[in-house]
Amino acid sequence: MHRFEARSESARAASAAEARFRIDAPNSRPRAIKIVALDRQSEGVVNRLAEGAFANATFLTVPAGAVSSREPFSMTGWLGDVAGHTKDLLEEIDGADQVVMIATAGEPLHAASVIGEACSLKRIMTTALILTPPSTSDEALSRSLAQLRPWSLMLVIASDEDYIADMLVAMRA
Amino acid sequence: MLKKEQNDLLTQTGPGTPGGRLFRSYWLPALLANELPENDCPPVRVKLLSERLIAFRDSKGRYGLMDEYCAHRGVSLWFGRNEEDGLRCPYHGWKYDYTGQCIEVPSEPEESGFCKKIKLNSYPLVERGGVLWTYMGPPEKRPPLPEWEFATVPPEHSFTSKRIQESNWLQAMEGGIDSSHVSFLHRGDLNSDPLFKGAKANQYNLRDSRPVFEVVESAGGLFIGARRNADNGNYYWRITQWVMPSFTMIAPRGNHPVHGHFWIPIDDENCWTWSFDYHPMRALTAEERRAMEEGKGIHVKYVPGTFRPLANKDNDYLIDRAAQKAGKTYSGVEGIAMQDASLQESMGPIVDRTKENLVSTDNGIIMARHRLLRATKALMDKEVAPPGVEPVHQQVRSAAVVLPPDKPFVEAAKDALMVRAGVAHASV
Repeated sequence: MHRFEARSESARAASAAEARFRIDAPNSRPRAIKIVALDRQSEGVVNRLAEGAFANATFLTVPAGAVSSREPFSMTGWLGDVAGHTKDLLEEIDGADQVVMIATAGEPLHAASVIGEACSLKRIMTTALILTPPSTSDEALSRSLAQLRPWSLMLVIASDEDYIADMLVAMRA
Repeated sequence: MLKKEQNDLLTQTGPGTPGGRLFRSYWLPALLANELPENDCPPVRVKLLSERLIAFRDSKGRYGLMDEYCAHRGVSLWFGRNEEDGLRCPYHGWKYDYTGQCIEVPSEPEESGFCKKIKLNSYPLVERGGVLWTYMGPPEKRPPLPEWEFATVPPEHSFTSKRIQESNWLQAMEGGIDSSHVSFLHRGDLNSDPLFKGAKANQYNLRDSRPVFEVVESAGGLFIGARRNADNGNYYWRITQWVMPSFTMIAPRGNHPVHGHFWIPIDDENCWTWSFDYHPMRALTAEERRAMEEGKGIHVKYVPGTFRPLANKDNDYLIDRAAQKAGKTYSGVEGIAMQDASLQESMGPIVDRTKENLVSTDNGIIMARHRLLRATKALMDKEVAPPGVEPVHQQVRSAAVVLPPDKPFVEAAKDALMVRAGVAHASV
C-alpha cells in the first residue's frame, strides 16, 4: 500500500534541498577540440587563443593559397600548429570530437572544403565561426557563407573574438 | 559550462546584484491589466526581482506599485482598504497614495506633517497592450516605454497570458533559444496543436529533421536561424529573435498568430513566464482565442484562481506514460508549454551549470550568456545602457522564410525581421 505524500516525487526531487544531493563526480571525459584558422587574419586570433589555458584544444593553421579540389594533394604536413610544426590533416582530426573553423568574413576560405570533407569522412562535428570586422560588406559575408555553409553543421557570426574563448570554455575545451 | 561565479552573476537578480541591475534597466511586464480591473479594486501582491510589492489602482484609475509592507509595523498592505485615492493599512489606518507617499497617519496631528516624512519605495506602473509594465531602476535612467509589437497592435489582435515557473529565469529563457529541442520534445504537437497545425512549413520540418543552425548577433540580442532544405536548392529558415535580457519570439507557421515569451524573475528560484500570441494584420479568430484560453499552443491550463499551471510539479505534471509510449507525446507531458517547463523545473531551482556538457548546437545559449555577461560588465563598470533598452531593439519580428543558399539570412530577410506597419509577418 502506498503511503500518502503531500508532495509528489517531482516536487521533492526538483527542490533546492534535493539539488544538493546531485552526485559530485565528473560526468564526462575530456574531449578533443581542434581549432583551425582558415585565413591569415584568423591565424592571429588562433595564436592569441592558444595562449589561454585550454587543456583539450589544439590550435592549427592552414597554408595560404588556393586548394584545388580536382587535383589530389597530400594531406601530410598540410596543417600547421602555432609553434610552426607541420601536421597531417587526417591524423590530426582522427579521434577529435569537434573541429571549429575560424574565418574572417571576406578572406579566402578555400581550406574549408578540405577540412569539411575530411571531417565528413571521419563523421566529426564541424562548427564554423565567422568574425565580422566593422567594415565587412554583405557581399564579403555572402562569399564566406557560400564557402562555409556546405561544411559546417553549426555556424556563428560574431562581432568580437572574445566570444571564441567563451565558447571554448563552455564546451570544456 | 559556466564557472560558478558566472552562473551566480546571471541567475541572481535581487537588489544590489549585477544581474539585478541589468534587469532594472528595462521596462518589465509586472501584471496583466485585468488583474486590476477597475478603480478601487482589491490590491494584488507582486514579487519581482526578489522584491515584495503591492499593486493597486486608485479611485482615479492611477496604478501604483510599491513596497508591500506598511512603514509603521510591517503589515502587508494586501489587507489594505483601497479607497479615496489611496491604500489604507487596516491596522492603524496609515494611508498611501499611488506613488507610495504616506498621506495620512491618523494617530498624529495633521498639522505635524509627520506623514510627509513617510514614503514607501515605489515604481511606475503603466498599462500597454493589456499588460502593466514597471521599471525598477534609477528614475534618471528610465528608458522610453516598451514598443514590443504585441503590445502595440489593437487589443483584438493579441492574447497574453502568464504562468508561474518554479525555476530560475535563465534556464527557462535558455529553453526559448534552444531550437534543437523542438524536433524531440515537441514533435507530437506540430501537426495536432490547433495553433501550429496545417502550415506548409511543418512539411519542411518533418522532411528534414536535422536542421543546421546559425547564430548571428543583433543590435538587441541574437538571431537564431534554423536552416532546412526547401525546394529548388533553396533553404527554409526559421529565425528566432532573442532580445536582451529575456524576450524571445519564435518563428511563425502559416497564417497562425506569431508568438513569444518574456521570462521575468520573481526571485532567484521562480520566474514568470509571459506568453503572447498576436497577428499584426487581423483580429484573432474566436477559435484561436478559445484555444489560447484553453491552454493550447504556448499557453497553459491553470489551477483555478491562480497562475499556477494545472500540470505542475506537485502532480508530476500529470505525466501520461501510455501517451509517451504510444508516441502521442514525446515526454508524456501534454502541451508545449508544460513540456518545456516540466523539464526546466526538473533541473532544480537553479541549475548547476558547472556540471553541464554543452555541444555545438548550444551556441545560441553560449552566445546569449556571453552577451548578458558582457552587457552586465559594461553596465557595472561604465554605466553603459544594455542592448534591448531602446525601442528600436524591440521593434522586431521572428520570421519563417525561403531564401537562396548563399545569402546571409539577416540581410536577405532584413525587412521580415523588423516591425512594418500594415505588413504581415513573413511566414511559410
